[in-house]
Amino acid sequence: MSIVRTPGTVGLKYTLEGIQVRGNTTTLSRVVLRYVPFHEGDVLDVDDPELELTRFRLLGTGYFRDVQLSLRRGTRRGYVVLVVDVVERNTIVVNNAWLGLAEDVAQNGNARPISAYGGAQITETNLAGTGIALGGAFAVGDTDQVPQLALRVGLTDPQFLGSSWIARTELLYNSAVQPSGNHDVLVNDPAHASGPFTDYAITTYKRFGGTIGAGHDLGVSSQLFLDYRLEGIDTTLPLAGSDHRGTAVEPIDYMLDSGTSILSTLRVSFVNDTRDDPFLPTRGHRLEASYDLSLTPLGSDYPYSRFVVRGAQWVPLPWGHVLSLNVFAGGVFGDAPLFERFYVGDLSDLLPDRVLDLAFDRRPAPNVLSTDIVEIRYGNYAARIDTEYRIPIYRGTRSVYGVDFFGDVGLYGLANEQDFVDPAPGYSGFARWPLDLTFNLGLRIDTQVGGFTFGVSNLIGLIPVRGEQSGAVRP
Amino acid sequence: MRARVVLLAMALVASVSAPATLGAQQAAPQQQPAHPAALPPRQANYAWDQDLLRASFSYRDVMSDPSLLKKMASGLPMVIAMRAYLFQPGQDNPVALAPRVCRVAYDLWDEVYRIHVSEHERERDQAAVLDGVLRICTEARDLPIVRRGALTPGQPYFLGVVVDVNPVSPDMIEQIRRWIARPTGSTGIGPTDALFGGFVQLFVRQIATSDKTITFRTQDIVP
Repeated sequence: MSIVRTPGTVGLKYTLEGIQVRGNTTTLSRVVLRYVPFHEGDVLDVDDPELELTRFRLLGTGYFRDVQLSLRRGTRRGYVVLVVDVVERNTIVVNNAWLGLAEDVAQNGNARPISAYGGAQITETNLAGTGIALGGAFAVGDTDQVPQLALRVGLTDPQFLGSSWIARTELLYNSAVQPSGNHDVLVNDPAHASGPFTDYAITTYKRFGGTIGAGHDLGVSSQLFLDYRLEGIDTTLPLAGSDHRGTAVEPIDYMLDSGTSILSTLRVSFVNDTRDDPFLPTRGHRLEASYDLSLTPLGSDYPYSRFVVRGAQWVPLPWGHVLSLNVFAGGVFGDAPLFERFYVGDLSDLLPDRVLDLAFDRRPAPNVLSTDIVEIRYGNYAARIDTEYRIPIYRGTRSVYGVDFFGDVGLYGLANEQDFVDPAPGYSGFARWPLDLTFNLGLRIDTQVGGFTFGVSNLIGLIPVRGEQSGAVRP
Repeated sequence: MRARVVLLAMALVASVSAPATLGAQQAAPQQQPAHPAALPPRQANYAWDQDLLRASFSYRDVMSDPSLLKKMASGLPMVIAMRAYLFQPGQDNPVALAPRVCRVAYDLWDEVYRIHVSEHERERDQAAVLDGVLRICTEARDLPIVRRGALTPGQPYFLGVVVDVNPVSPDMIEQIRRWIARPTGSTGIGPTDALFGGFVQLFVRQIATSDKTITFRTQDIVP
């Protein structure tokens, strides 16, 4: 033991005889010790900031309600034992819960007015005390005889084999029903439609497969991931089908191979995140970029590549409110399967988002600007820019951390190659630009069990203003 | 020069980003009491040391919680940071700031508390038993506040005092928030592809900026 005086310190140093973990009934001691950067025999300076950081790192795992560090005498003068006292907590988390209303289709392809859908994602973040996260998710639609179901189960090890690498794997199953066309299609479909004229052509498909990946931190704010995906797709398509595209009649592109097909992709993704809060950020930015490459040499039936970039910047305003700017852009090059393309519901707040890759809604874009975007539900190119204004209403430290009112307005576009070289016939001028407005307002509530967003846009989207396909041009 | 360096270090430890010089004209508004006149009152003794105003007062109650006394005996350092802002009634901007930081750790083998005290133009190291620690670290005795020349004669002044036990520096809080702000997956555009990442942030919002904080104001003094 020695005392070395430096300004602002007490100057005590000991030799570390060992580390003792107490209070852990579920979490393995070795999991706790991963976060303690000291080892037997080290000289321990009580002023070392790593001691304080160690406590916060352990709290940051989410496994513990409280963590306290202390020292006790060792067996020889000048030696000490570092004691880590932990109080464990429930580590089962509801990551996501979905509940909404959509307009979907019946089994025979006819439109249905309103149906409900829902789902949840739950994770045990400290499986058997190992620090590994086990998660499961499901989504289901209240369909008319035609089931829509999505299931996920996944494992994430934030410190794979004690290393600094993140490892993750996920299994997926989707049973989906996809309405194609834009109302009033001509179809030859013995499996579903009762006649040649119906509202939509029905595609049913099942997906089963999984991903395996690894990631690594690139500094405090950035992460890089590499994921490989392999899945089989079993698709039933109508024998033939055609639909209006503007004033022209064209065959329907179902964006899936009939029968059994294989999808095999490699994805690299990067995240840079400097937000000060994950749900109600007031400053900082978040940048995400990903690139998917379909591995056709390894048997993938869908030759394509896909990039997505999205960024957001939050700025605190002097009067306590928060302004954010969000941008998104993506492109698909080649023949990607339907669920890899950009979907209008993911771009417009007035339509339900996809949940676990399932689209529960059959409607096209609301088409506030009366353009040919009403002809496009899935596209290879998408972009969106929007701004959100948030007004803090409540701040707390117990079960509810914060409530903010928000208003959001944005502009988005969705297109395929054909829309650039051969726009839908019947549209002219600005109407040939597949753009639309979107907006939302509501409450964001940050709680101990997660963040919740209550927006009114989805309900507004269900109110028919100008009919099924507002602004659509037909012969 | 050395005094300025020491005060700068004190200010960092105490989470004070105000100019920590005697007679400072402005302090960081986010660190000082928002409504100092409304703070609970406490008695202080004032004395003039030539043209230097000194104050003596106690804040021993900041350590009234037995768990804090136990933590102080843990062998790891505890910081008791006191900031005394000099205000004029009716004004929320202080005219001076007098910080005092006490860092104490229990010496497991010599069975005494090692104390390092930092205040304006003075640093000292001491060893004491528990009563001595409380006397040294939770009582301000003849704390130098401000020189007479910085005050308006005939106008009343009072001290607004903030005491923190183990304050967490803003840099540390920022770092913690970045740890917990991990990717949470898609929230609107595109499928949810980062399904099982980012649960940690749910748990650590309650990290406080200190183990305990007390605030109070003293009675007026008229120079």
